[in-house]
Amino acid sequence: MMQIIKKDINIKFSRHYVVTAIVSLILVIGSLVGLFTKMDYGVDFRGGAEIQVKFQNDIKLPLLRKVLKEEGFQVQAQQIGEPGNHEFLLKVAANEENLNAVTEKVSGVLNKDFKSDGIEIRKVDIVGPKAGAQLRLSGFQAMLWALVAIMVYIGLRFDFKYSPGAIVALFHDVSIILGIFAFTGTEFTLQTVAALLAVIGYSVNDTVIVYDRVREQEQKFSHLSLSEQIDNAINETLSRTILTSGTTLFISVTMFLFGGLAIKDFFFAISLGVLVGTYSSIYVAAPVTLATDKLLRWWSGEANEGQGAKA
Amino acid sequence: MKRSWWYRFTFLIIIGLISAMMIIPTAMNFTAESNFPVKSKITLGLDLQGGLYMVLGIDFNKVYEDEVKSYARKVAYILNDQGIKSEIGSLDKTIVTDPTHSIVIGDPANIEKAKEEIKKFFPSIIRMTVENGGTLFYGLTKVQKTTIEEQALTKSIEVIRNRIDEFGVTEPEIVSQGSNRIVIQLPGVKDIERAKSLIGKTAKLEFKMVNDQVSLASMNSWVTKAKESGIEYKTGMRFSAYLRTLNDFLTKEKLLPKDHEMAFEKTVSKATNELTQMIPYVVEAGTKLSGDQLQDARVQIDQQKNEPYVSLEFKASGAKIFEELTGENVGRRMAVILDGNVYSAPSIREKIGGGRAQITLGAGGFNKMMKEARDLALVLRAGALPVQLNFEEQRTVGPSLGADSIKKARYASLIGAGLVFLFILIYYKISGAIAMVTLILNIVFVLACLVGFEATLTLPGIAGIALTIGMAVDANIIIYERIREEVRKGLSFYKAVETGFAHAFWTIIDANITTALAGLCLLNFGTGPIRGFAVTLLIGIVSTVYSSYFVGKLLFEFYMNKTEGQDLSI
Repeated sequence: MMQIIKKDINIKFSRHYVVTAIVSLILVIGSLVGLFTKMDYGVDFRGGAEIQVKFQNDIKLPLLRKVLKEEGFQVQAQQIGEPGNHEFLLKVAANEENLNAVTEKVSGVLNKDFKSDGIEIRKVDIVGPKAGAQLRLSGFQAMLWALVAIMVYIGLRFDFKYSPGAIVALFHDVSIILGIFAFTGTEFTLQTVAALLAVIGYSVNDTVIVYDRVREQEQKFSHLSLSEQIDNAINETLSRTILTSGTTLFISVTMFLFGGLAIKDFFFAISLGVLVGTYSSIYVAAPVTLATDKLLRWWSGEANEGQGAKA
Repeated sequence: MKRSWWYRFTFLIIIGLISAMMIIPTAMNFTAESNFPVKSKITLGLDLQGGLYMVLGIDFNKVYEDEVKSYARKVAYILNDQGIKSEIGSLDKTIVTDPTHSIVIGDPANIEKAKEEIKKFFPSIIRMTVENGGTLFYGLTKVQKTTIEEQALTKSIEVIRNRIDEFGVTEPEIVSQGSNRIVIQLPGVKDIERAKSLIGKTAKLEFKMVNDQVSLASMNSWVTKAKESGIEYKTGMRFSAYLRTLNDFLTKEKLLPKDHEMAFEKTVSKATNELTQMIPYVVEAGTKLSGDQLQDARVQIDQQKNEPYVSLEFKASGAKIFEELTGENVGRRMAVILDGNVYSAPSIREKIGGGRAQITLGAGGFNKMMKEARDLALVLRAGALPVQLNFEEQRTVGPSLGADSIKKARYASLIGAGLVFLFILIYYKISGAIAMVTLILNIVFVLACLVGFEATLTLPGIAGIALTIGMAVDANIIIYERIREEVRKGLSFYKAVETGFAHAFWTIIDANITTALAGLCLLNFGTGPIRGFAVTLLIGIVSTVYSSYFVGKLLFEFYMNKTEGQDLSI
């Protein structure tokens, strides 16, 4: 049998909780700061227009910028993809009234000025501010509903004491991915929302598998403390956790590297999600569940005392 | 082998064969004429085959305004008819979502009676809001607003569909989203600019009488006065918006004669094709005859000038109105107005019977005019949009980009899947081979479902399939690690496999349901390509549970049977 993790592995994860909690807290806070200050929202959410253009001839960015400037457009241009592709992304800043007109004019002028350079307008995205606001709202709603649905499902299938752990872990994962997006200047687009939901699904998957074992432990080894049961459950599932993360990473990293520009950012988020999600199942969901359990015990103890006093 | 095994095996073979049938046309790139029994192929999304995706929004506040305004005349007419002297007041847009209009009652003593009459004649349409001395304010009822919204939306979709059908796009998709949005998807459309202009044109055709009493000088002075108050037309602005604010301003300033409005004829220079002049007109408000009375609209060519024009033919009722209108107004000018722009304003020399009229076009070369005439005739035939639609979102993708994306994504998926296969083969040996078979089946099932459900494969959809492979391995790993554990505990191979599968079942279900919950939320949120991701993710989950768990179990039972429980390579 080939093994990555030894069969009798027994790591006391609970001993790391203080350190990991501090690390996680710092990362989450930093990420939230990044999210609210530095996040680069894509055209989907910000509203505006983007034109993706490709030339057959060797057109350089400065020339393109010069032409756009001479024609009197307020357009940001950047090169995308490999340098040999002569492919550019133009961001048109315009207000709602003339967004359409300006975008059409830019396309028209480029088609005319670069006619002999094999110009090809590959993609045009125009999103009015209203649509942008709408997309922002529904993206947020989708994530919120996913969290609520997962919380309820875990509560029903396991016990509601497990729900907060899973939710805090998801919140942790999503905010760290967003933080990394903010600090690396990766655009936040509709695809990012899709990737985040996939990560939510993946990460909770990880958590559920540990919980499943904890439940088994609760039944078999009821004399152990919950903390020990959780440690055992994580150890027992550790090889599965690492193998699955590994195979998913094989896919997401190859897609990130070779899948083309259009899905690069998507798989960047997925790859981060697999890493953070694996970490959070062990070091976030578990300790929060322990804390919830303690809190519940303390609270029900209080309630019992209260009842006693009444009687 | 047990009998139940054979049942399950037969089921797998049937499912497998059906799936293979489904994907063969796509895989072999069969044409529609081939003799193969299955014709349908995987539908590629807009992002992969190129095309146009649009979200159009309806600004109902403006629709309410028009509706409220249009009742003012009717209300005043009815009240006067009932002996209550009253006059049309003005529009109040303080609450933009609920505009109101006032009616000035001549004798304040009559106010109660007037309210009763209005209630009697316009039940469930108009509701009274406030009164101020002799002035009554009314707005629309909630019921009426809902009716307006529903009608506008349904009618708009119908009109757009008519136009697109005439334009000729295969498999267009035109659906409403919420109560005030229309989503249009035109896959593979080539002439995107033309498609856009065809869809966006309101095509509201009206015939209105010109008031020649107002001099050009005074009209020009009004426009200047409006300009001084900041009402000015700038390029890129929507002309109808300018016209609306201008007319509101002129009415408020009491410059326009009662029940009149301004309209413009835009003249375009033949040489530079740029807007050179806007000729102002004062026309009677209220449309005598409109585009809904049209029977047909065709392009014809004026032989003398060698210029195309659009000839109009009215329905019988429209022809009668046209005849009366021209008969009553001999010597005056009648403006032909399309979407608020005056196209021409010919003088009526005599009563015109036969129900025919024509629209002459601006300028430009013959080809340009011809194109304009063709599109104009098309939109007039297809009918006018009941409301102005705003482009809220527009995404166009060229065909080459999609082809590039498919190529790259497929290449990367193959590398990724290859790595995963290699890994599980090395790590789990023969069991790994079983896992590999279940994974390949899984992909076949997902693709077959896409064909079967006529779902659309988008780029994020391909991402979803790739991700499914990654996550499907998880189910295999959960089972195999469990079996290994049981073997270590000293169970026989046969027993270990059985216990492993039994224990792993709920874990796999739980893990997949939580992912499915996220997928469902995404499906609900979904716009275009993103929906495609949710769809493949959800199909992938169902297919994973079947292939990794049930097919995996089937194959393991066979394996155990072959080795008689003596050997297990895992």
